[in-house]
Amino acid sequence: MLASYLTVAAMLFCIGLYGALVKRNAVVVLLCLELMLNAVNLNLVAFSKYGVVPSLTGQIFSLFTITVAAAEAAIGVAILIALFRMRGTVNVDEFDKMRR
Amino acid sequence: MDKLTQTAWLIPLFPLAAFLILTALGRSYRRVGVLIGIVGSFAAFLFSLFIVVDRLGANQVDYNYSIEWLAIGDYSLRIGFEITNLTTLMLAVVTLVSLLVQLYSAGYMKDDERITVFYGYVSLFTFSMLGLVLSDNLLSFYIFWELVGVCSFLLIGFWFTLPKARAAAKKAFIVTRVGDVGLLLAILLLFWYMPEHALDFTTIQSVFDGQSGAITNGITTLIALLLFVGAIGKSGQFPLHVWLPDAMEGPTPISALIHAATMVAAGVFLIARTFDIFQDSAAAMETIAYVGGFTAIFAATIALAQNDIKRILAYSTVSQLGYMMMALGLGSLTGGIFHLFTHAFFKALLFLGAGSIIHAVHTQNINEMGGLRSKMSVTTWTFAIGALALIGIPPFSGFWSKDLILSAAWETNPLLFGAGLAAAFLTALYMSRLFFLVFMGKPSAASMDAQESRAVMTLPLIVLAVLAAVSGFVETPWNGWLGTWLTDGSEEAHASGAVIAYSVAVGLLGIYIGWLAYGKRSISFAAWHERLPWLVRLLERGYYNDELYSAVIIKPLKLLGNVLLAFDTYVIGGIVRIAGAAVSTAGRAAARLQNGQAQTYSLAAAIGLVVLVAAIVGRRFLP
Amino acid sequence: MFNIAITGEFVAFFTLSAIMICGAVLMLSLEKVVHMVISMAAVFIGLAGMFVLLEAEFVAFVQVLIYAGAVSILMIFGIMMTKHHAVEQEPSKPLHQTLAAIAAISLFGILFYAIRTTTFPEQQQPFQPGEDNTMAIGELLYTGYVIPFELLSVLLTVAFIGAIVIAKKEAD
Repeated sequence: MLASYLTVAAMLFCIGLYGALVKRNAVVVLLCLELMLNAVNLNLVAFSKYGVVPSLTGQIFSLFTITVAAAEAAIGVAILIALFRMRGTVNVDEFDKMRR
Repeated sequence: MDKLTQTAWLIPLFPLAAFLILTALGRSYRRVGVLIGIVGSFAAFLFSLFIVVDRLGANQVDYNYSIEWLAIGDYSLRIGFEITNLTTLMLAVVTLVSLLVQLYSAGYMKDDERITVFYGYVSLFTFSMLGLVLSDNLLSFYIFWELVGVCSFLLIGFWFTLPKARAAAKKAFIVTRVGDVGLLLAILLLFWYMPEHALDFTTIQSVFDGQSGAITNGITTLIALLLFVGAIGKSGQFPLHVWLPDAMEGPTPISALIHAATMVAAGVFLIARTFDIFQDSAAAMETIAYVGGFTAIFAATIALAQNDIKRILAYSTVSQLGYMMMALGLGSLTGGIFHLFTHAFFKALLFLGAGSIIHAVHTQNINEMGGLRSKMSVTTWTFAIGALALIGIPPFSGFWSKDLILSAAWETNPLLFGAGLAAAFLTALYMSRLFFLVFMGKPSAASMDAQESRAVMTLPLIVLAVLAAVSGFVETPWNGWLGTWLTDGSEEAHASGAVIAYSVAVGLLGIYIGWLAYGKRSISFAAWHERLPWLVRLLERGYYNDELYSAVIIKPLKLLGNVLLAFDTYVIGGIVRIAGAAVSTAGRAAARLQNGQAQTYSLAAAIGLVVLVAAIVGRRFLP
Repeated sequence: MFNIAITGEFVAFFTLSAIMICGAVLMLSLEKVVHMVISMAAVFIGLAGMFVLLEAEFVAFVQVLIYAGAVSILMIFGIMMTKHHAVEQEPSKPLHQTLAAIAAISLFGILFYAIRTTTFPEQQQPFQPGEDNTMAIGELLYTGYVIPFELLSVLLTVAFIGAIVIAKKEAD
């Protein structure tokens, strides 16, 4: 059963990765990042039940991850809003300051 | 040996200093510039004169001083100067002609914008020539030899805005370079075979003179012939004479200085300086004699058909140089050097006179001149003296030197005697043609308002005329002073009434025919033009030498050059361009990666991760 | 391959993973950004269900609370504050898209291969979530993991203040 959970998590992770790499809207990119984090959470929790040494530690770690993800989402949206105010767009490919 | 001779190395430094100052001053100081040039060569002349006076007595010891220049292992290369009677004579001739030419140029080049540059070049040339004369070994001799070639290039191409002058300068440089290769090879051979790799003239003299057998006969002949190739290039002997007539594109004083009196004499001087090598090789001596004799006749026939006053004189120079070579080839060192000495004066005189004429009538075509006798009396008289000296009418200098050469031929080689006599006849013919066409007859349109040149130009003419008239008396059939002085008495003067009679008769005959044809106009060469037009054209074009070289050497070389150029452009250049384009394309592709977008960067990171993991996982499948 | 015992857990797992993957794919293919967020919310809820399956009720609860609730709302706020009727335009970079697809698929392939070939060792003891999952977690948090927990609270505070500072209108 563990392999099934891991496979689903891997699928979610790769879909999230693809979205994060391809999508133009920054909000969607943030969403895809959340998806990837969720996939990781699924792994953690799955291992906490089906791992070699099952324990609650996996669940606690997933809680931590969720917390950090929430903080990240908040900061991300804040940055987005600031950027939008400055540049008038949320399209990722128009942010190319790094070239200069 | 007194202090004066020991400081002879100062002589070339005067013109060198003049050159440096002139170059530093720039073009604005025109009058001062002229003065500096003249003062430089005057000082050199004065110094040389002192040395000549100092060495006039008999049995002077040669003075040689050298310092170590380079030390390579056990071998040390020395550089220095040497004063012998021969070099003393050359010093005097070079500095005197240079001084007179510079004086003359003050008038001739007066209106030229780059007159200071001109004086700089002439000073540099004088320096190189003096350095060449003073050199005590072949290596420094070669350096100055090349320097002389460079100066010649600069001065022939002085009016570089004229395409013909540019072409002539290049031609002179390249053609003499062919000869220089021979000289260089000779020096290398000497370096290889000489005991202890010595290159100085004293050692060369002792090695070859003593018949020590250190160098085999074959090598000696080879070295001698290669040295002669160098002399052929510089002294305009057949077949490398083609540059000399074209060199007349330079300013006329330069023609007088370089292409009559000094630079072309360098080849003769080279042979005279290394005469001991030649004396060891009969084959080389014969080659020199025959090449010289052939050149003497060959160039004289061409001179007959030329219409440009300077080209006539140029071919005459080639012919007279042939005489000198012939004399050297016949073993008469005195004859060659004596003719060099007198020729320097009368040929410089003729060139400067021609310059004076050109200055007055603004044309170089002798058919457009005429009747200049009444307009330019000084030029006429001095030119007449020069012409008589060249033809060899006693008591002018050319007679004595030519007589000495012909005497040498009379005794040893009747064929060459005939050649010399024929050349003397032709010389008389073309010089009288030149003289009568230019000075006699009615004034032509071009010479109507001709005026005598200024004193600064006529003064050198007078000085040279006096020298051309009297300089022959240093060596006469009954007084062989020059020969004794030059060769320490090893060459005796020999008089022969028959030779004198022949040469005077031939000269007078030539003048008479010239007078009939061009002065009195009672006989005409027009029939020749009609019946044998090809012969006249052949002579006018100088036996189509240039065309021959163009077809045989220049065209194939150009073709080869074009093929190589095409190879370079399309193959090598193509490879370079493809390489460049590949790198540039790669760069542009890589630059597109750096587009500032985080997604591209993360994509690269993701691909990198995949590749990394795949590489690690893939190792499992390897055996 | 199909000789798996069709248990309740299996059926639930299959349904939930279908919901999640459909949601995730929909999120990639939908055009309007708001719809994407909604399909994303479906994924979050499906994941919460999966946590329940894995006997992690508290985590499931937190998942619903934070993801399906807070984060989704936050994203919608983000959309509302930037572009109201934002429509995801067609990306005009086919090469980029292809490369990303290749990277994602091959990464999945590698992961799948790893998962399939790994033989997980036998569990030493079965999972014992205890009577009260929430209480057990609370006890652990306040005993063994108290320092990370406190650090996280600091992180949250910092993020909270930082978000306000960044998003604040630059009045002055």
